[in-house]
Amino acid sequence: MSLQLSRGEVTSPVQSQESKSTAAPHEKTITVAVAGNPNSGKSTLINAIAGTRLYVGNWPGVTVEKKSAMFEHGGRKIKLIDLPGTYSLSPYTQEEIIARDYLVKEKPDVIINVVDATNIERNLYLTVQLLELGIPLVIALNIYDEAEQKGYRINTKAMEEMLGVKVTPTVATKKAGLEELLKAATESADNPSRYLPKQLNYGDDIESAAAVIRTHISEQYPSLDGIYPTRWLAFKFMEGDSRAAEEASLKMDAAFIDKATAHLKKAHGDDMESIMADERYALATGLTREVVKRPEVRKVEITEKIDRWALNRFLGIPIFLAAMWIVFKLTFDISQPFGDWIDGATAGPVSRLADKMIAAVNGPLWIASLATEGVIAGVGFVLAFVPVIFAMMFFITFLEGSGYMARAAFVMDRAMHSMGLHGKSFIPMLLGFGCNVPGIYATRTLENPRDKALTALLLPLMSCGARLPVYVVFIGAFFSSYAGTVLWSMYVMGIVLAILMGVIFKRTLFRGESPMFIMELPPYRMPSLRSLMIHTWEKGKHFLIKAGTYIFAVSILVWFLLNLPWGVENKKDSYLGKTGQIIAPVLEPVGFGNWEAASALVTGLIAKEIVVGSMAEIYAVEQAEEAPTTVSEDLKEMGTTFVAAAGDSFRNVFATFGIASISAEEDEGASGLKTVIQKTFTPLTAYAFMAFVLLYMPCVVVAIAMKHEFGSWKWFGVAFAYQMVLAWGVALVIYQGGKFLGIG
Amino acid sequence: MSPLGLLSAGEKAEVVEVMMQKGCCQGAGKGQSCHAEDMGLRAGKVVEMLNNGGGGPLLLKVDESRIAISRGMAMKIMVKKSD
Repeated sequence: MSLQLSRGEVTSPVQSQESKSTAAPHEKTITVAVAGNPNSGKSTLINAIAGTRLYVGNWPGVTVEKKSAMFEHGGRKIKLIDLPGTYSLSPYTQEEIIARDYLVKEKPDVIINVVDATNIERNLYLTVQLLELGIPLVIALNIYDEAEQKGYRINTKAMEEMLGVKVTPTVATKKAGLEELLKAATESADNPSRYLPKQLNYGDDIESAAAVIRTHISEQYPSLDGIYPTRWLAFKFMEGDSRAAEEASLKMDAAFIDKATAHLKKAHGDDMESIMADERYALATGLTREVVKRPEVRKVEITEKIDRWALNRFLGIPIFLAAMWIVFKLTFDISQPFGDWIDGATAGPVSRLADKMIAAVNGPLWIASLATEGVIAGVGFVLAFVPVIFAMMFFITFLEGSGYMARAAFVMDRAMHSMGLHGKSFIPMLLGFGCNVPGIYATRTLENPRDKALTALLLPLMSCGARLPVYVVFIGAFFSSYAGTVLWSMYVMGIVLAILMGVIFKRTLFRGESPMFIMELPPYRMPSLRSLMIHTWEKGKHFLIKAGTYIFAVSILVWFLLNLPWGVENKKDSYLGKTGQIIAPVLEPVGFGNWEAASALVTGLIAKEIVVGSMAEIYAVEQAEEAPTTVSEDLKEMGTTFVAAAGDSFRNVFATFGIASISAEEDEGASGLKTVIQKTFTPLTAYAFMAFVLLYMPCVVVAIAMKHEFGSWKWFGVAFAYQMVLAWGVALVIYQGGKFLGIG
Repeated sequence: MSPLGLLSAGEKAEVVEVMMQKGCCQGAGKGQSCHAEDMGLRAGKVVEMLNNGGGGPLLLKVDESRIAISRGMAMKIMVKKSD
């Protein structure tokens, strides 16, 4: 029997009149906590329900992402809280502790438990633990379409009866069943007594021991009644979970607990924690057996077919490298015309418009210079990389959402072992390609402190999006005919050096073996465009915010440093220029010992993308004197060049797979900066410079993230020191080696 | 009984004992074996080896999920081959 799924539109018009006239409890905001296993489609479900109303923040005190949303449904105010994805509620990982603390302390009105219908047994293990809390619960039987396709027959009625909760089939990717789910959730929240989940029977031995402890708790601590679920507390005591006792600030007599559980231990000869876990799992298994009918013959799934290739011991790594190459190439090809367009627009029409406006109000010359050479050049240059960053984030999100990211970790496990880590550390590193900062925060998924520190230390060698602007400018100036390959080589260089440094660290700072790991590989799925968009935006928006605030401020600062002491004639004599001159000799042996490059690198300590913005200001890239234009001409120019850029981008995508590639054809309107760079750098020094920018010290935001994660500046200090040495050394090898070979 | 790590691809076996179970979640590697059991890799479960190629991690089918574990962990899980 197949369940009819209706396509639910979740948003309903706000019926203010109705909500006013209804009784008091209906005006109350319903707090809905969403819990579930990783890979159960939980975040897709949240996105489908909340959409743009989703607010992404952090859980207090920690940096685990917290998603929440406030919206109205059927005239009811609903507050949705997304709990971290967990397999269990045991207090061992940060995610589990967060989920559990929230449920026990904040007591949401109802829990939506997202259960993967294709993998019910393991998902129900969490459900069983959620039921212990005595909070009204509804089950979203998600990915229901795939379960049906696989021939599973799930008796949701029986499931409802056995668990005492409502069960709603959903297909989050298609937004099906969501309306029913929210209805079930509000109903359960409104009638907590009717929809209270069943307390499953854990067997006489456990139940009788729990009963003794519960009575004891109620007698000793009557004030706790109604605040903490006593049955849950009793279970926690039996398991020896000291955290729960601390939370409830009650002391339990260890001897008393021992006495109450003595017969259990004797009978099963095991520690209480395993006994409880086994019982819960047995319940999940039993329930699954009752409600799910699986087809006799299991078909070889498409995921397994793909994995035979993707995880092949010989082909795995080549496939991974090829996939990365395609990602970088596509990123570059699609986004570059748009980047050039922003670049051209800010350098030309926008600057001209600003000049005209300032002239119109008779603003002084230095204001015009600050606005055009400082702010517009600085911020504009960085903004020009928004398309590249977003394209890159889009593909990384695609790799994540499709399930390939976890395979990359699997395939790379051996390579990671050589640097003293395991495959799981590879995911923070991959995220680091987008931005090192979320990568640093993602190290918290690593249980072992040694792994965590080593991963964070090597992570800045992963070339983040902020370094991309530098490459793009230099590649555009020198290597445009094989742009994708040169770009790819930068990323590979970072990876190779990370392995090398890992080997060194493994023998010095981090002796000892790399611990064991376990990780789930989700099935391959086509991510929906919608979730791709949402997550791309979430990842990319930080860059936009940075451009709007941080880089804006730094651009102004750099302008002043370049124009102070007041009235300085030559930029070389400005404060920034003088600093650059001091540093320049150090950079002489690596090929770019001029004060311009040195000054730009200094400003890049704040954020690497600033390097290009600073260069633009230092070289004060002058546009060739053009015929005076009118405002409407300026606007029209921006419009027509945009259309041309879109066309270029489209053609590039197809050229990616052909022999033709992006060529210098559209360099007509290329920025003045590229021209200046072509005069001061050679292809060889340009490559050395790119390598230097890749490697030299993590930016200030990474420094803060490291301090945040490790509670001290120690690891940042180590990272700073080794990276400076590494950057200089590698640039030296490239430059001197290249010179020796007669290149450049 | 043999360690899980010695199964070759395509073989199925029943988990007999997860040897990290005793005192799990204590000391080094904290939380990891518990995690293995939370993910369904526990005694009594029939698992299928999907990928066991050379020195890297290995891939198991446990229920409906694919779980990758390191070789070290696989050697500490004892299984009984079934056919």
